[in-house]
Amino acid sequence: MDETIKREAVKGNHMMGVVAGLAGWVVPGLGHLVLRRWSKAAVYFLCVGGLACAGLAMRGGVFGPGAADVFDRLGFFADLGAGVFYFLAHQIQSAGPDVAHATGDYGTRLFAAAGMLNLLTVLEAYDLGRGGDAR
Amino acid sequence: MNFLFGSLTHFEALLFFALVVSVTFAFLSKRGIVERAKYTLWAFLAFLLVAIGIGWLMYPFSQ
Repeated sequence: MDETIKREAVKGNHMMGVVAGLAGWVVPGLGHLVLRRWSKAAVYFLCVGGLACAGLAMRGGVFGPGAADVFDRLGFFADLGAGVFYFLAHQIQSAGPDVAHATGDYGTRLFAAAGMLNLLTVLEAYDLGRGGDAR
Repeated sequence: MNFLFGSLTHFEALLFFALVVSVTFAFLSKRGIVERAKYTLWAFLAFLLVAIGIGWLMYPFSQ
């Protein structure tokens, strides 16, 4: 379907932007799905989900909300960006983190990167929902 | 997921990270399949080049 036709399919407004942004945060790609951007929705879900699952499978750490250190707090906000993957982290990797080894440390970074990537897609979903001309 | 990602070497993890981030950036910033493919390839190679370059720069300090 042509991009012009797609933009006309969903009329943009502020509320639609907020709904798309929230949906995209909870489940990566869902915001774009709401806006009928099928290919972007699928790619974002696979990329963010794949990165998050890889991080957890490598036994990376997930930061909790009660961190005292400022870097841990930043890590918490980055991790939180992964939405449902953050909340299901313990179900996806029941063995828990193992950051004593380099692989676990890499996993921590991969999971945080997944959260940050998803926040970028959330911003795009919000912009598209408002009727913006995102690519 | 452990069977897929649990046994990745560090280099394989780097390749996976570079690919996934390149594809996402391409979809965020480019329109059209050719533009996205070109950007993905360019960003992926740039990730690899920078990572291997920094690895070599750090090599003397590991001794």
